[in-house]
Amino acid sequence: MNVLLIEINPFVQETTPISLGYIAAFLKSKGFCVKILSIGQNTSLSRSAFHELISTFKPSLVGFSAYQRIMLYMIGLAKFIKSIDNNIKIAIGGPQATFMPSAAFAELANVDYICRSPGELTLLGIARAIENGTPFLDLSGLSYKDDNNAVFDTPELEGYTDLDRYPSAYLNDVFDYSRMREAIMLTSRGCPHHCIYCYTPNAFKHKISFHSVERVVEEIRWIRKKGVKRFWFADPNISYKPSRLIEILDRILKEGLETEMWLQTRADLVTPELLKKMKRAGVSTIAFGLESASERVLSRLGKHITTEKVADAIRLAQNQGIEVELFTIYGLPYETFEDAVKTLEFVKKNKVKIMGNTNSQQLQIYFGTHMAQHYEEYNIRPLNNNRPAYLSIGSQYETDYMGRSELHKIQQMWQANSLDGGKRIVS
Amino acid sequence: MVGNELCRERNNKTMIKPAFKKIYVILGEQDQGNLEWVLQTLSFLYSHVNLTSNIYLVSENLSDSMPQVERIQKNINEFLSEHLFARLYVHIVHPAPPSAMDDIRLCYKYLKQSTDKFDQEGYRHQELPRLILLPVLVPDDQVKPIQLIDLLDVLKNSFLLSSLYLNKDTLDLAQDEKLLSLTDKVYYGIGNSRKMTDVVCNLFRQDILDDSLDKIEINDLSMTEPCPDSLIISAQDCNVYSCMDAFLKNESLAKIYETHSLEELLADYYQQDKSKRDCLGCREQVINSFADSPKSLATDQEIGALLYHFGILRQESEDDFQAVKNFKQSLNLSPIEETDPVYFRLGIGYTKIGHYDQALKAFKSVEIAYQGQYFFHFYKGLCYFGTQDYATALEEFSNALQSKPQHDDQIRILIYIGTCFNNLGKYEQAVGELEKAKETAGDVKEIYNALGFSYFMIKDYDKSIENLKMAVEIDPFSAIDYASLGSNYREKGDLNMAIGMYEKALALDPGMTSAREHLERLNKKL
Repeated sequence: MNVLLIEINPFVQETTPISLGYIAAFLKSKGFCVKILSIGQNTSLSRSAFHELISTFKPSLVGFSAYQRIMLYMIGLAKFIKSIDNNIKIAIGGPQATFMPSAAFAELANVDYICRSPGELTLLGIARAIENGTPFLDLSGLSYKDDNNAVFDTPELEGYTDLDRYPSAYLNDVFDYSRMREAIMLTSRGCPHHCIYCYTPNAFKHKISFHSVERVVEEIRWIRKKGVKRFWFADPNISYKPSRLIEILDRILKEGLETEMWLQTRADLVTPELLKKMKRAGVSTIAFGLESASERVLSRLGKHITTEKVADAIRLAQNQGIEVELFTIYGLPYETFEDAVKTLEFVKKNKVKIMGNTNSQQLQIYFGTHMAQHYEEYNIRPLNNNRPAYLSIGSQYETDYMGRSELHKIQQMWQANSLDGGKRIVS
Repeated sequence: MVGNELCRERNNKTMIKPAFKKIYVILGEQDQGNLEWVLQTLSFLYSHVNLTSNIYLVSENLSDSMPQVERIQKNINEFLSEHLFARLYVHIVHPAPPSAMDDIRLCYKYLKQSTDKFDQEGYRHQELPRLILLPVLVPDDQVKPIQLIDLLDVLKNSFLLSSLYLNKDTLDLAQDEKLLSLTDKVYYGIGNSRKMTDVVCNLFRQDILDDSLDKIEINDLSMTEPCPDSLIISAQDCNVYSCMDAFLKNESLAKIYETHSLEELLADYYQQDKSKRDCLGCREQVINSFADSPKSLATDQEIGALLYHFGILRQESEDDFQAVKNFKQSLNLSPIEETDPVYFRLGIGYTKIGHYDQALKAFKSVEIAYQGQYFFHFYKGLCYFGTQDYATALEEFSNALQSKPQHDDQIRILIYIGTCFNNLGKYEQAVGELEKAKETAGDVKEIYNALGFSYFMIKDYDKSIENLKMAVEIDPFSAIDYASLGSNYREKGDLNMAIGMYEKALALDPGMTSAREHLERLNKKL
C-alpha cells in the first residue's frame, strides 16, 4: 500500500521535513511504500504535475503536516486529491492538529483523520486499518470522521520513550540528499518546562525523551558521507542534559566529524566550557529564547529565566565567536508598548544582529498552549470570532495593554532595525 | 520483485515535471479575437504554472488595456477559487506618463474590487492573500518624482508596494529617497525604449540576473540549463515563446514543434526539448549587459563572480576562447582579493589556445598563492613546452612531479618529462622517465610512442619496435607510429618490413611526406 506524506509551506524555501521523515522510515519498516513531498517557495510543482503524481503513485493514504498558516493550502490540496480519487483517505497531524477541536471536521470536508498522538504509531494504525479494508476500526491517537460524517475521538496513544526505537529517516535514506542543503536533526523530543505561549510542553506532557549518543553520531557520520555539511538541530533544548551533549560533541571531535551546526537551547543551560566545545565542534550559531526584556512581562511567562541570565549567555557565546540569535515576541500578555521597545533595545545593546531568527514576531496563540486555553485571563481579546474552527487565535488579537496600532508600530520598529527586511527562518 | 524494489520503482515513476514560474503576457490591441486566444492559452497554462507563480501583464496603455486586464483577472479569479492551493502574483506593467496619473488611479481602484474576495480569505486565514496585484510603473522622462510619489502613496493604501521600471533616461528617479521608500523593487531597462517587447525582454533579463545570482550563492552549477521556467505570450502575434532568446529570434513554440494545439505543444515541450539553445551564451550576454548597470542590481563583485563561473563552464566544455574572454572581464570587475583563481584559470585558458606568453604572465600574478601546487607547475611547464623552452619546461614538470600529483596527472607529467628529454637530446634520461610512466600507467599510447622514439635515437631498434607495436595495437590508425616502425626496420636492414610499414602509414595518412620519401628511396634501392 502506498502512503504519500506532504509538507507544504509556500512562504519559505523547501526544508527537510524531519517529522515526516521519521513517519516515512517507520512506515517503510512496516512494509508500506512511502513518498514524501515537501513543497516550499522554491519547489517546482504545478496542478498538472500534482495530478500526475497522485494518479501514478496511487496513494491509499495521504498525510499532511498541518500548521496554522498553511491550513488553506492543505484544504485545497485535500480537495484536489479527493477529486482525483475519492477513496484516498486524508489525515492531518503536527502542531496544529494535536489540539485542534474535533468540531473542525465540519469545515474540513475532505479530511478523514486528525492525528493527536505520535505520528509514527498513529499513522501506522491508520495505514493498517485502510489496508485491512476497515479504515475506521480499532484506531487510537486520533479523531476521525466516518463515511456518515459522524465524528469520533479515540483514546490517546503513548509514543516510545526510547527514541532509538523509531528507525532513522537518514540512515534509511528516506530523503533525497542531492537536494538537501542542510540536515535537520531531532535528537530529543518534548520539553519539561511550562512556558504559557508554547505548544511543545503540553504536546509531550512536559516530558523529554532522547536518542542515544550512538544513534546521533551514526546519523551525523552518514549524512556527512552523503555530502551534506550543515546541520540544524531542532531540539527545543539540546543541552537539557549537558553531559549528553558533551558526549555528542566529544564524539564529533574524536571522529573528525566537525561540521557547521545551528542549535537552540535555554540561556541557563550553557557554560563557558560547553560553549568552547560547541565552537570546536563547528557550532556557528546558537539561538536562545529571550521572549521579552521586560522583567515584569518575562516573569509571567512561566519561562523562569531572567534577562541577566540571557545577557550572560549571549556574552559567553559571543566570546567564543559563536553567532547568537535571540527569539523574541511582542504582543505578550501584560506587555505595554514601552516594554516591547525594551526588548528591541536589549537586542541592540547586546550586539545581536537583527536578522533571521532574531527578527521579532508577534505572539501567535496556538492550539494547545496554556494561553489559548486561558486567553481571557490574560486579557486577550480575539479580533475575529468568526474564524474557522481549524484555526486558533493566532495573531488576530489585542490586549489590554496594546491595540492593533501599537502592535503595528512595534512591528515596524523591528523592521526598520532589521538587516534583512524582517524575514524569520523559524516560525 | 521484492517490496523495496517495487516501492522504488513506483517512486521513480512519479518524477515530477517542472512547472512554469513566470509568464509574461504582452497585451495586444483591443482585438477581441486575440483576447480570446490569450484567455484560452492562460486557462490552459494555469494547470502548468507553479503553485506560487508570477504573471506579468505588460500593456502599452493601462486605460486602453483595461478590458483585457479585467477579463484576464476574472479568468485568474476562477482558477484560484477552484484551486485553494495556488497563489498568483499578478504584476501589471504599464507606462506612467504625467498625463495618465488620474486614469491610472481609477484603473487600480476598479481592479482592487476584484481582489476583495481574496483579501478577505487571506484575513480569515491570517496569511497573505493568494492573489496579489503588483503595479509596475514605467515612467517616461517627463514625469516629476512628486507625481509618482503621489500615485504610489495612493496605491500603497490598497496594494503592496509598487515597483518601478527605469530606463537610462529615467534612472535619476532612483535618486529620490522618498520615491524609493514607496517602491518595492526597481527594474532596470537597458537602453531607452519603453516598447512593450523591450520591456518584457528587460524584465526577463533581470530575472536571469537574479536567478544566476541565486544559483551562484547556493553553489548551484546548472547555469548551462534553460532559464527559470518562464514563458512569453504575445497577444500581438498569438504566439508562445519558451524564453527571451526564442522571443528575440522569433522562434515560437508553435514554429519549433509545428503544432498549434496547446496540449500537444506542452506535451512535446516536456518530452523533447527541440528548442535547444545556447543558454550559457544567453546568460553571458545578459550578465555582461548589467556590467554598467546601477550597483543596486548587482555589484561588480557579483558580476565578476558570475563571469568567472561562466569562464569555468566554458573551459570545461573546451570553448577556451570564450573562457578567456570571460576571465578577462571577470578580472576587471572582481575585487583584488578574489582575483587569484581568476588569474590562474585565465593562465590555463591562454595555455590551451596557445598564447603562452600571456599565460605565463597570468601565472606570474599568482606565483605566491599557487607555488607548490602541482597543477600550477604543470601548466607552466606546458607553456614553456609550447614555446620550445624544454629545459625550463623540464624544471616545471619536475616541480609538478615533486608536488604529489594525482595518479593520472602523474603519468601525464612523466610523459612530458620524457618528451622534454627527447627534445633536449637526452634520450637515455627520457627512457628512464618513460619506463617509469609505463610501469605506473600501463597501456597509454603516448608513452609507447615516445619510448619508440627514445629507443630509436639510442639505436635500440628492437626495444623501439616493441614499444611502437604496442602503440599501434592501442591505436591501429596511428600513421606516425607505423612510419616510425618503418624507420626501425629500415635501420635493422629488414627492407621489406620497412616498406610494408611505410605503406601502411601512407594508407592511413597519404599526406605524410617523410614516409613517402623514405618509401621511394627504399623502392629505388630494391
